[in-house]
Amino acid sequence: MGKKFLRFEFLLLFAVFIIATCGLIYELVAGTLASYLLGDSVKQFSFIIGVYLFSMGIGSFFSKFFNKNLLNTFVEIEILVGLIGGLSSVVLFLLFESVGSFQFILYLFVFVTGFLVGLEIPLLMNILKDRVEFKDLVSNVFTFDYIGALLASILFPLVLVPKLGIMGTSLFFGMINVSIAIALCFLLKRELKKPSLLRAKAIFSFVLLLVFFIFSNDILAYSEGKLYGENIIYTNSTPYQRIVLTHNKSDYRLYLNNNLQFSSADEYRYHEALVHPAMSMAKSVENVLVLGGGDGLAVREILKYKDVKKVTLVDLDEGMTKLFKTNSVLTNFNQNSLNNPKVTVINTDAYIWAKNNKEKYDVAIIDFPDPSNYSLGKLYSLNFYQTIKTILKPNAAVVIQTTSPYFAPKSFWCINKTVMQVFPQVDAYHVYVPSFGEWGYTIAINGFRTTFNTVNRKADGLKFYNYQFDRFNYFTNDMISNQIEINRLDNQILVRYFDEEWGKLQ
Amino acid sequence: MIRLLGTKHLLGHRLWIKDFPKPTKQIQIPYLIVGGGISGLSAARQFHKKGISDFLIVELENHLGGNSSNGENKYSKYPLGAHYLPLPNFQDKELLQFLEEEKIILKYDEKGFPVFDELQLTFAPDERLFYKNNWQEGVVPKEGNLISDDLEFEKFFKKMDVFRTAKGEDQKYLFDIPLHLSSKDEKTRALDKITMKQWFTDNHFTSEPLYNYIDYCCKDDFGLGIEYVSAWAGIHYFAGRKQDSTPEKHDSVLTWPEGNSCLANHLKKYTKDKSLKNHLVYEVKVENNKVIAKAFDDVNKTSVEIIANKVIMASPQFVNQYLINDRKAFTKDFHYTPWLLATLVVNDLFDNFSFPLSWDNVIYDAKGLGYVYDQHQTVNQVQDKKVITYYYSFSSADLKKTRKELYKKDKEYWKQFVLNDLKVAHPDIEEYTEDVEVFLLGHGMISPAPGFIFGEAKKQAKQNIQNKIYFAHSDLSGISIFEEAFHQGINVVNEIVDGTTVDS
Repeated sequence: MGKKFLRFEFLLLFAVFIIATCGLIYELVAGTLASYLLGDSVKQFSFIIGVYLFSMGIGSFFSKFFNKNLLNTFVEIEILVGLIGGLSSVVLFLLFESVGSFQFILYLFVFVTGFLVGLEIPLLMNILKDRVEFKDLVSNVFTFDYIGALLASILFPLVLVPKLGIMGTSLFFGMINVSIAIALCFLLKRELKKPSLLRAKAIFSFVLLLVFFIFSNDILAYSEGKLYGENIIYTNSTPYQRIVLTHNKSDYRLYLNNNLQFSSADEYRYHEALVHPAMSMAKSVENVLVLGGGDGLAVREILKYKDVKKVTLVDLDEGMTKLFKTNSVLTNFNQNSLNNPKVTVINTDAYIWAKNNKEKYDVAIIDFPDPSNYSLGKLYSLNFYQTIKTILKPNAAVVIQTTSPYFAPKSFWCINKTVMQVFPQVDAYHVYVPSFGEWGYTIAINGFRTTFNTVNRKADGLKFYNYQFDRFNYFTNDMISNQIEINRLDNQILVRYFDEEWGKLQ
Repeated sequence: MIRLLGTKHLLGHRLWIKDFPKPTKQIQIPYLIVGGGISGLSAARQFHKKGISDFLIVELENHLGGNSSNGENKYSKYPLGAHYLPLPNFQDKELLQFLEEEKIILKYDEKGFPVFDELQLTFAPDERLFYKNNWQEGVVPKEGNLISDDLEFEKFFKKMDVFRTAKGEDQKYLFDIPLHLSSKDEKTRALDKITMKQWFTDNHFTSEPLYNYIDYCCKDDFGLGIEYVSAWAGIHYFAGRKQDSTPEKHDSVLTWPEGNSCLANHLKKYTKDKSLKNHLVYEVKVENNKVIAKAFDDVNKTSVEIIANKVIMASPQFVNQYLINDRKAFTKDFHYTPWLLATLVVNDLFDNFSFPLSWDNVIYDAKGLGYVYDQHQTVNQVQDKKVITYYYSFSSADLKKTRKELYKKDKEYWKQFVLNDLKVAHPDIEEYTEDVEVFLLGHGMISPAPGFIFGEAKKQAKQNIQNKIYFAHSDLSGISIFEEAFHQGINVVNEIVDGTTVDS
């Protein structure tokens, strides 16, 4: 009898140890998730520990209302803690974006887990009180409780999160928790009432957790998209870049190699400012050239002018232009501009194309990615602009997206100064695009027969640009930079400026 | 795929036994140029400038260009020898003139500085060095040096700055290009008697990174490393180029995917319908006031006799000794370093991304001189495959022995040799390499060992024979660079036409 009793006691004490470990793990998972998703880790951890301990107190308080079937209750609570604690991170990850009251759910989970763990210790002491001397009981229960806590807090940051991830950790400990319940069902089947029902509940919970554990990476991948605040609705890796389209409420965003290309909410500001000044100043707009701009949004703006007879768009990436010719969400944005009969799309290297091209254009819209590497830097070089000049008609207008004059003033004025070496009239202007920040352009005229303040034509229905160019070419002191070198292929100074300026922000 | 190519050394070796058929054809021409390298081509250009068009240029290979030749594959052209020209010295008006003719210099700015074509100047980033497991910008070891190394580098470059601008009592630069313009200052010329290593030690330098850097530079220009090269030549590498043709004092270079073959091609236009390729000249002698040259036609396997008034031997002296009598005695002092070039087509060039792929990519303490990225001078955004050319010079005390060994090894050996040398910086390169072309140059370039540049052998080899046979080749200057060969060609024609001579 004595031996058997010893086993009974140790089994329950081992259960205490596991409960304590798991309980603390759930608390740490909640704290980590909260600081990960909501930020401010000091606040999150502090609140969660507080709520957890408080709810344990509440649980302890309510334990006195349990009088019957204590052992059954204990095992059931064990299953429940495993299930709720184990699934907590999955639920929190998935709900993060779609539920406004995320914090409420988070603290509800912490509270419930804390409450259940709080119930268990007094319950256990009640079960054992008649079998063990009180002094031993208290000392043993709390010893195991605190050892479990230490083990959890050491394992969590050093082993569990690096190896299993947050979601994997909580599911794994959920399974441990439930397997203790299963073990108790088998070992104490004589002491338990309806042990088979209890066993079935426990095994079902275990399987559920196991399934989630196996698929935890997929769940994470799915929820990661939400984590960035947006649903990823399309991804495609072309030989040149990774295209990611996301959707959130009414806003669509396109990322190229993880850089935001446009947000549907405010791209009209960027594209109206890119296209309309040049289109209104140019002597003629019959033949328009677009370099880059495979999304067709600049072309959409260009086609607002009736005088336009021909638009040639040169973009390296066929994957990009194809997407914007065929995807119905996207053709909705560019108003199907790339399928317009006036538009010719050429997928080739713009620099090489410009060198070999014989045709001459009235307007050139140059919308390349920022000069973040030496390859892209070539498309902002003196020789490149000299090449462009050879394919422009006299008095043609050319506009170049010139990165942000606020974040990268040296880069901005470097491009501007380089263009100045080539064209007789050069100016710069900027607009505020909320999703980008302050953004700028360099504009040039290939002759003297028109000026920056000339408005030769207007398009109807613009939301942003009002054809008053002189409202946009004033720069405050924080957007000015002097002592800038010209960007040439043999110095690529722009890439250095750009790296220096944007590098600071990262 | 591996291919093993090289200059036509087997045909050349037939000069030892001269088992050529008797001439069956005769050509009469006033001026004959033997050798279609830069000296010969430059002579052709100078003839043209002097209004002389009745000349013939004879070349052993199937193309003109000599060391300034190139290969080409599906993805890129690539050099088979010389691959760049440093910005010329501002005083070198002949060279500036040539570069202006060929639109490499586009114009002169308001201050009188030449404006070079942006597309022909090395694009940025131009150089990187794999040092202490990281790529860093430039070929001078910087990140990871001891403070004492940095101080020695500083001291060394200061000395070179002094040498660069210093002039002798004769008001000539101590070190100039072409070399014969340099001052006769005795103290400076004495540097030709010791090795660069000796100079390094004499000047109390001890830094290992500095030693390696100078060794790299010497091999780069002369094929010979710091242990074997003359100190005068070693210093000339740093001090000969005045870096004074741009306002920014650039030390940049002009380069092309095909290397100096681009410059050779500019010069080739003066030889249109005036060249005989695949012809090995095997005998040259003065007879009845004429020069008789016999050449073997390697395509038709016949020989031809060329009768000329004057002949320019724009061929190296190790060849001339077999064509003309009584030259072996001084020719033995001419040493030529063998070179190996390997052009690789790679799917990718993974490295640790610490500094981006540059034009010149040097691996510190490697066997070779690193590699050139052949597509660097293109304006494309992307390349399907990358083409790189690896350079290796066989610097040793006994170049003859080295040369013999060079031809013994098979292509598999050289492929593995090259890949192993590159693996230091690109561990996966073997996996990504789909084609290797190894090109051997048995006599890659003249090697300025101590005593050669200002020695007797060179002086004797230069002497014309009865005002009939003239000599022009970079080995007669002592260093194998484009500028020397270019001036050799000009000067020899001036000597023939105007009777002017260049002292040295």
